[in-house]
Order: sequence, then C-alpha cells, then structure tokens
Amino acid sequence: MSTLDLLLLVSAITVATPLLIGNTRLGGWAMTLLYAAQGGLLIGMRDLGYGGQPIPASPGFMVFGQQIHWAYDALSWFFALITVGSALFTAWYASGEWGARYRRDGYSLRLLHTAMALNVFAMLVLLGSADLLSLFIGWELVSWASFLLMAVRGGPAVQPALRYIVYAMGGAMAIMMGLAMVYIQVGSMELSQIAAAAPGFSDGLVWLLILSFGVGFAVKMGLVPFHLWQAPAYAETPAPGSAFFGAISARMGLFGIILILVKLVGVAHLAGMPIPFTFLSARDLLAWVAALTIIIPTYTALRQHDARLLLMWHGVGQGGYMLLGLMVGSALGSAGGLLHVFNYATNQLILLMAVFAVIHRTGTADLNKLGGLVARMPLSFLVLLIGIIGLAGIPPMNGFVSKWMVYRSLIAEGMPLLFVASVVGTLGTILSVYKLIHNMFLGQLRAEHAQIREVPLSMSLPMLVVAALVFLSGYFPGVALDWVAAVQAGVGLPVIAHTLGGVPLPNGGLDMIWVVSLILYGFAVGALIFFVLGGRSTRVHQLDNYAGGHFLTAQTRYQYSNIFYPGLFRLLSPVYRNSFVWLEAGLGSAVNLVSMGARGLYRSVHPAFYILAGFVLTLAWVIT
Amino acid sequence: MHWKTLLIDLTLMPLVAFVVGLFLVLMMRKVNARIQRRIGPPFFQPLYDIVKLFGKEIQISHGLWHDLGIVMLIGGYIAAEVLLPVPGMVGLAHKGDVLVLIYVLMVPSLGMALGVGQCANPNGSIGISRALTSMLAYDVPLMVVIVGVAWHYGTTSLPEIIALQQAEGVSGWGLSTMPLLALAGIISTHMMLGKEPFETYVAPAEIATGPMVEMGGKYLGGMFVSQCFQLYTAGVLYTSLFLGGGENWLSFLAKVFAVIFIPVSITVVFPRFKVGEGVAFGWKWPTTIGLIGLALVFY
Repeated sequence: MSTLDLLLLVSAITVATPLLIGNTRLGGWAMTLLYAAQGGLLIGMRDLGYGGQPIPASPGFMVFGQQIHWAYDALSWFFALITVGSALFTAWYASGEWGARYRRDGYSLRLLHTAMALNVFAMLVLLGSADLLSLFIGWELVSWASFLLMAVRGGPAVQPALRYIVYAMGGAMAIMMGLAMVYIQVGSMELSQIAAAAPGFSDGLVWLLILSFGVGFAVKMGLVPFHLWQAPAYAETPAPGSAFFGAISARMGLFGIILILVKLVGVAHLAGMPIPFTFLSARDLLAWVAALTIIIPTYTALRQHDARLLLMWHGVGQGGYMLLGLMVGSALGSAGGLLHVFNYATNQLILLMAVFAVIHRTGTADLNKLGGLVARMPLSFLVLLIGIIGLAGIPPMNGFVSKWMVYRSLIAEGMPLLFVASVVGTLGTILSVYKLIHNMFLGQLRAEHAQIREVPLSMSLPMLVVAALVFLSGYFPGVALDWVAAVQAGVGLPVIAHTLGGVPLPNGGLDMIWVVSLILYGFAVGALIFFVLGGRSTRVHQLDNYAGGHFLTAQTRYQYSNIFYPGLFRLLSPVYRNSFVWLEAGLGSAVNLVSMGARGLYRSVHPAFYILAGFVLTLAWVIT
Repeated sequence: MHWKTLLIDLTLMPLVAFVVGLFLVLMMRKVNARIQRRIGPPFFQPLYDIVKLFGKEIQISHGLWHDLGIVMLIGGYIAAEVLLPVPGMVGLAHKGDVLVLIYVLMVPSLGMALGVGQCANPNGSIGISRALTSMLAYDVPLMVVIVGVAWHYGTTSLPEIIALQQAEGVSGWGLSTMPLLALAGIISTHMMLGKEPFETYVAPAEIATGPMVEMGGKYLGGMFVSQCFQLYTAGVLYTSLFLGGGENWLSFLAKVFAVIFIPVSITVVFPRFKVGEGVAFGWKWPTTIGLIGLALVFY
C-alpha cells in the first residue's frame, strides 16, 4: 500500500467521519486532526516536491480496454499540499466557537463538514489523474462537491450555486468533447501516451483542444468571459467553505490547463501557432485573456461594498497572474505563475478568515456599516493587514515575490503591454484592498460596535499561523520555489534557478532575505526616530477630532466610505457597461426561447399552427 | 559584501538622503517665495521645523496604528534609500532591482494611509482616497517609462542602468536615447510629488490638508521628514534612469537639484485639478507620450 493509497483512504475516512460525529462538539476538532493527518501523509510524500519519482495508487480498473488509474507527481503534490493546508486551517477555524454558533443558528454542521471533506477528497482524486477518464471522473466529482458545499446553507446561496452548476456542466461538456477528440487522434486515454503523440498534433487539433479543454477549465478558473459565476457563488458559502473555495477551488481549473495545454501541448507549441490576419499567436491570445482576467474582475472588485464579494472578485483576478506567468513560458514567468498559486492561497485564506471573524462579531460584511474596528479587534486587523499587503503584491509579504517574477519575466521577454496591463491590475488591487481595510477597521468606530470583543483563540490562532506563513514565505521564498522548480521539471517547463532568498539574475534579480531585512531595519530606525526623538504622546478619544468648527458626537455619521473613490468613478463609471452580464442574460434568453419552442413541439400545444405550417409546406412543394 | 561597507551604506545612504532632502525642501520653498516676490525662509528653516515639531510638548495620538503608520512612513523611505545607488555607494541595489524599489516605495504610502485611517477624520480619509487615486494616475505612465528603460538597457538593475549610461557619456543618457520616455518620466515625477496641479489630496482650502489634518508634533514631523525623502527619491530615481546617475557627488547633486527644480518651479503658477481630471491627465498625456516612446524603444 503506497502513501498515496493511504492518503486517499484517510481522505475518504474524513468524508465519512462527520456523518457520524459531525454535529457533536468534538466533530470539528476530529476533522481538523484528520486534515492534519492528510497533511502529514503529504509531507511523507515530500520527495515529489524535490524531483522524486511519481507515486502510483494501487486501485484502478478497466473500462472498454482503457486503464483508469491514479498517480501523484510534483504538480499533483504541490496543488494537493495547498488544498489540504487550506482545508486544515479552515476546519480549525470552524472547530470552536464558530461551529457552535453555526449549529445554534440552526444549520447542520454535519452537512457542512461532509461537504468540505468531500471537496478535499474530490480534489485529491482529480489531482492524481493519470489518464483522461480519471481526469473527467475527478472533474465531475469536484464540480458536484463544490455545488454541494455552495448550496449547503440554502437561502441566498442556492441561486449562485445553481448558476455555477450550469456553467460547470457546460464546461464539462467541452472537456468531454476534447477528450473524445484526443481519443480519436491518439487511440488512448493514457496521459503518457498522449504526451508521446502530442508533438505530432496539427495546429487545427490544438486549436480545438484550446476551445474544448481550455474553455472547460477556464470556466472553473473564472477566466474572462466565464468570470461571472464565481464571486457570488463563493461569497455565499459558510465561512470555512468560503475561505477554502477562495483559496484553492478555482485553481483546479489552472491545474487542468497546466496538465493539457502546458504539459501535453507545451507553451512553445502554442507560441508557434499564429492567429490568421493578426500578429498574435495562440499563446499571446491566452496571455491577453489572462491580462483581461486580471483587469476586469479587479475593477469589478473595486465597486463592491460587501467584503466577501470584494475579495472573491479579487480571487478571480489573481487567477489571471497565474495564467499570465505560465503563458510567458520562461523559467521565471512560469515559476512566478505557479508560486502565485501558493502565495495567493495563503493570502486569500487569512483575508477571508479575518472578514468572517468580523462577520462573526458584527453580523455584517457590508463595508458601509462597519469601521474603526481596529480598536476592538486588533488581531483580526493585523491579519487582514498582512493579507492585503500580500494580495496587493507589496513587499515584504509573499504575494510580492510571485508578482515580481511575473513582471520581471514580462520585461525580460519583451511584452511591455502585458506588463503595463498587469500593473494596472495591481494598482486597482491596492486601491480596492485599502478601501476594504479602511471601511472595516479604520475610520470611526460605530456606537453599536463599541463593546464587541476580539474573536476567540480557536479562530484567531489559525489566522495568525497562516499570516506568519505569508510573512515567512515572503522572507524565504526559496522554500516554495523548490517545489515550483520540481513542478516545472515535471511538466516540461524550463526550471527556475533560485536561492533561498529568491531569484539571482545577472541583470536585476531579487533577494528577499536582504530586502525584507532592509525593510525591518528601516522600521527599526523609523521607530527609534519616532518614539525616542519625539516627545511623549497622549491618546485621545476618536471624537476629539478636527471637524471644521463644530463638535462631533456619536450620532454624526461622518464616516467617509460609501463610494470610497468618487473622483475616480466619475471618470470610470461610463466604462462599466455590464457587457458580460448583458451577454449572459442574452444567452439565457436565447436558451429559454429555444427550449420553449422545443417544449411546444413535443407537447403539441399549438396543433393548429403545425397543421397550417404543414399545409403551407405541402402546398409549396406541390406548386414548385 | 563586507559588513563594514554594509554598515556604512545602511547608515550613510538614508542620512545623506535626508540632508539632501532638507536642501531640496529649502530650494522648493525659496523658489516658491521668489516667484511670489518674497525672500523665503532662512537657510536652516527646514531643519528648525523638524526639530520644533519633534520637540512639541503636546503630541496627540489617535491609537497604536496612528503611531505605527508614521513609523512605517519613515521606515519605508529609509529602506528605499538603501536600494537607490549614489556615487560611491551601491547599498543593496544588487539585491533588489528598480521594480523592487518602486514597490518598496509603496510601503511608506501604505503606512501613511493606515496612520491617517486610524485618526477617524473624514478629511483625512478623503485625502487618502484622493492620494491613492492619484497614485493610479501617475504609476501607469511611470511603469510604462520603467519598462521602456529596462528593455532599452536590457536590465532592471539600477547600478547597471547607470553604468551603461556613463559608459557612453551624454549621448548614452536616457534623456538623449529616449527623449519621449524622459518627458513622460518628468511629468509622472511631478505628479508623484503631488504638487499643483496634482495636489488634490492636500487641498488645504477643500479638505483641510487631507492626510495631515490630524497630524501635529512628531506626527507632522515624521511627515516632514518623509517629504525630504520623497523629493530626494524622486530626483535620484529620475537622474538614475535618464541622466546617467552620478559620476561624482558634484554632478550628481547638480542633476538631482535640476530635476526637482522643474516641478517645483512650474507648480507655483498652477491652480488645482479635480480628482478625476488629474487621473484623466495622467492617463492621457504622460501615458500616451510614454507609449509612443515605448514603441520607439521596441521597434
């Protein structure tokens, strides 16, 4: 029995456990321990992250002469580590007071934990796919498990979940089509055999693969123009599920894209496929899709006034950096894209956990109804601060490293417009995340929040641990870059040369150990100047404030938050035309019309019309 | 790197930046005064101001992050100065390139934003909202400029960009080889300094000096120090990208003062843009000029 068998077994046990004890007080902790056990098994498989041989799973079966089986390589291991890690910390977060409250509110903790564990199990199965059929099985499992977790709370969550499943089924059909095409061409579903045949694929076939597999996986990842479903569906999920989805779920689409378009087809092949009548190649097209995915969802996030939706829209946008880096195809760019999967997952985990901590205490995520919470929830503030620095890609946090690698590779490969596009996305992110932290934690504390407390240790500790991880993996990015390098070697990309501190390049590299130490040194000197050289300061009440000549009271709502960037939106609002929403609605109406017609046909609701039409057609045939 | 060199660089580079920054502030105020037919402040006035502010008896804090915000503001600039090579001192510029520098320079802005945010003053919040909006306006052309320069010299490392320019003399300067990018660069530098017509986020008559509204004593002093750093950083960055950096301290300082002289001398005659107008200007003029310059560099 290999370690992988054991991992899948423990994961299956994790699905079964909450059915028995999910609603008890210890249920959450048992789940946490089981996820920790899965994490331990993954650590036992750590050789994969350092160039070890793939580990096969024992179970497998034959269908129509096709072997269906599973195996883990560096790529699977890297994604599995992030998946199980996300599950571990979110389950921990939900184990104590959060879970008790959820149960008190009349929801089923048993169902929630089962759905979470099912998601993890489905993802672990998907990540182990060794042939296209097991990939498809895994894909369907993930889609339905996600649907279950999204809809688990009922109420407002159902509508976005149903919208998701429509998208997911459409994507699955596309993948099915691609699967059939590959089978006809190669005569096998085995990934290793397809890889051997892939260099001989014609451009036409690769275009069809991009349209089938690419579109299918793009739906899950929320790439433009399939980005509409994701944010509302993930935001309405209960806290641990929401944080888990936000951190990793959509990346399964990226996994699929890496598997098919990078590992089997290869970025070089894509770059060699010109689009007729343009100067672009298939790779450029995908890179620009990625760039649009950075910009459009990010500037949609800027308009949100629900903290969860804001973060989820950023989640869609951050996926663009990952794909963009991969499509650059160089060692630096693809390493940046892959590293961003890890870094982003850690950032989004703590951001969502902090936001749900605020919801836990105040009952709202509405950015117009919060403010000043830094005085009451300092730990959550610190966690959110670390998260936004990471998400915005500012040193010293880890998000900066992966984004820097993507920027640097775009400059090195001579793609200036994509570089500018990605920077425009980053600037939008900075604006948006400052609005997030300002409207929740800074500004005026509202009277109704004057007495709330920090969340208990069961919630703040997992946040703090991941926040420490965000800082440390920014300080020593080499640890995760080792795994990224193994992934690159496994999928046939050029391998990044790196050190513990970052990427040494002859013409402008990065060493985060020095940079972060320098920033800490700067802070130390700054603190020395400020606290030692300056006089002692006295704390005043928040209403003891310059307000242009009149006194402030708690009743004076001067919190400036509603539309945080009015000057910018006066300029930008004509640009937001909701074209994609309009397009989606149009497609929906078209499908409605066709199905009405079809229903009319088989129910024969208009017999007179059919007789008349038949008569006219017969007449026309007789006359001519 | 030898630890002695490192220690000297870590101490001296921020210190020099601060002292030069004091003189840049003095120049700014003198130029301003002369255009308005005043004499202007005495030689040591910028230093007196800082000493006075730090020594104030009453210091008002609105909370822990009000304090830490100012620490981040000063500290971020101190870190940035060590990434900015000057004649005789490279600091840690080999450990982080110009992109790192640009992003490290966001740390002080973030610090200020956090500090002001905790003050719970609407004018302060409006000021930060406007400051971030204007960052969106000037960072887009600035990044166009950076990518052009980096591609032209084939490196993002500042010491190398400087060395490559100095190897060819004045004809090798970015200003001579990439005049359009240099023009876009000076406009973005002006916008970055937040001087009229782009000082939407200070706007004393409108939002009571925005971010500074709740700042007094050492808090305002910290902001004053950071203004010195800001002028110096902007001047040195532009000098490094387009004017061949410094061959020696004399020519280096002359270039830095010349660069800063341009925005501070034309700023006085302008009124103030509206917030949206500033963004529209930034995306229209310097970005377009920069993109044309970029096209010339690439093809």
